[in-house]
Amino acid sequence: MDKNRSPLKVALHGMDERSYKMMAMYLQGPCRGAAVVVSEQNAECDIFDGDSVNGQKFLTEYLQKESHRPIIVLSLNDQKLENVLPVKKPVKTDDMLMVLAKAKELLSANTKQTMSQTVPLASRSATPTTDIAENIIQPLEDGQKLKIFINTDEQKKTSKHQAAMQLNEKGFSAFIGSVSGIDVNNPKQFDKAHYNPREYFQGYVDSAFKVSRAKGQVRQLNSGWSPLIIFPQSDEVWLDVDESQLRAFSGLVINNTLGSKMSITPLSLEVSSMDRALERFYSMDAFLWKVACWASKGRYPITIDINQPVYLKQWPNFTRLLVTPHAMRIAALLIQSPRTLSNVAEVLNLKPQYVFVFISAACSLGLVGQTRRVADVLVQPSEIKSNKNQGLLSRILSVLRGKKA
Amino acid sequence: MSQYKIIFTGPVGAGKTTAINSISDLPPIKTDASASDMTRYRKSSTTVAMDYGIMNLPGGEKLHLYGTPGQERFDFMWDILVTGGIGLVLLLDNTRADPFQDMRFFLDTFEKFIADTTVAIGITQMDMSGKPTIEDYHIQLQGLGLKPPVFAVDARVKNDVSLLIQALLYSLDPGLEGDNEQ
Repeated sequence: MDKNRSPLKVALHGMDERSYKMMAMYLQGPCRGAAVVVSEQNAECDIFDGDSVNGQKFLTEYLQKESHRPIIVLSLNDQKLENVLPVKKPVKTDDMLMVLAKAKELLSANTKQTMSQTVPLASRSATPTTDIAENIIQPLEDGQKLKIFINTDEQKKTSKHQAAMQLNEKGFSAFIGSVSGIDVNNPKQFDKAHYNPREYFQGYVDSAFKVSRAKGQVRQLNSGWSPLIIFPQSDEVWLDVDESQLRAFSGLVINNTLGSKMSITPLSLEVSSMDRALERFYSMDAFLWKVACWASKGRYPITIDINQPVYLKQWPNFTRLLVTPHAMRIAALLIQSPRTLSNVAEVLNLKPQYVFVFISAACSLGLVGQTRRVADVLVQPSEIKSNKNQGLLSRILSVLRGKKA
Repeated sequence: MSQYKIIFTGPVGAGKTTAINSISDLPPIKTDASASDMTRYRKSSTTVAMDYGIMNLPGGEKLHLYGTPGQERFDFMWDILVTGGIGLVLLLDNTRADPFQDMRFFLDTFEKFIADTTVAIGITQMDMSGKPTIEDYHIQLQGLGLKPPVFAVDARVKNDVSLLIQALLYSLDPGLEGDNEQ
């Protein structure tokens, strides 16, 4: 593009205020000298947003008027209209400059052809110029947004939708607990640092969830304690106890004492539809995750072979789960490649209890897999590649972790 | 001093402005702000055309938070915007007609940037529409060969946005040490 030539005078159509300003600045910036935005009456070329409701409407009207001006249409989709110069979004500067040059050539050719006819552009019935004020009161969306009827009860389920609690090392023992008679952080005692989820409330909750989901029925887990009501359709549970009580109960081995009292019963529609305290609803996953943490107390589940690498199938939904110390680091590492639990602790320089409790929780939701190949053990990566901006990233992290709401 | 930035993208209404507002140390500059004339002819005025916030870091550094315009708007700034970016936060509105299509569009559009850095995905409005689930998003992503963090996010809640960015940073380097000891 010869920047010394006079810029093409363009009018913008079908754009809201933000888009209009951005386009004007874009033409002043990356496309400087190639085009300038003017009023519709003074324009030599028209640019339409082909994806907005207004843009489509104006374009349709405009095409019916046999304008002699070049028309440029910006769109996410391929435009196959006749006499239209398409530019696909996201707009690339090279594409835009090329189309503007082409528009100028067309304008020049059209001018020569119509010299004798002298049809003044301004005299034709004017298409409405893009009016910023008008666009502000027009819908910005193009109809993609669904009509949503807000369920206010759902929004009152504060426990279900609450933000995650992020535990640090200092709060770990007090909140998660510990096991006497064993040092879970001593590699020589790793073989004993496991627990069996089936002996704890976790195992019964897990079974009840599976039955309830398989049957698609509201079920009640009776335990001789407070009943747990499971709503598989909405993926939530209801339990009318304080968190401290649940924590204490979850940490008990109950299969020998309450095991015989455990039962899962279907609930009638009448009973399941009863009004309940909304703040006592929890997401099924968040509930089971937390119960698993309390059962684990820093141990790993017996289903995991401590000598075989594990991997993470997907990231846990951490914003709605209890975030145990270093859980995000562990997740980020295990999503990359399989490692043994001890290797994770070693590479990240962590106490193994933090790895064990995370694995326990992730296992409860079925997020952990374990490789059984000898090769995976042999080729287990020992180190991780540091990011070139590690110092910066650490500073951002420290600010974020200090910025809890 | 280097300019560090995190890019927030996603369709209109997904909560980019709100998310930036949640963690910014300054009131974010919004495109909707009326006073644009004074910046119109300066090069730096381009920042006015998008949502923008700042996070102050120790040592006087600043992390810039940029929100791209939505899918249906002009996205010609995107190439310029991502240059030098640390990573991408993709926010998706779960009440949209086809959030998977939105996701594919943005992942495709920012494919190179994501390959060079990383992405963390926040699903907003899940209290208004529980479907698709987070699991559904993971299934879609598996089909694309991706395993990024996908979290339910209320963009108004600082902790949600903070956790999403933390996941983004740990994805870049799991060896990062935060202040878990505190």
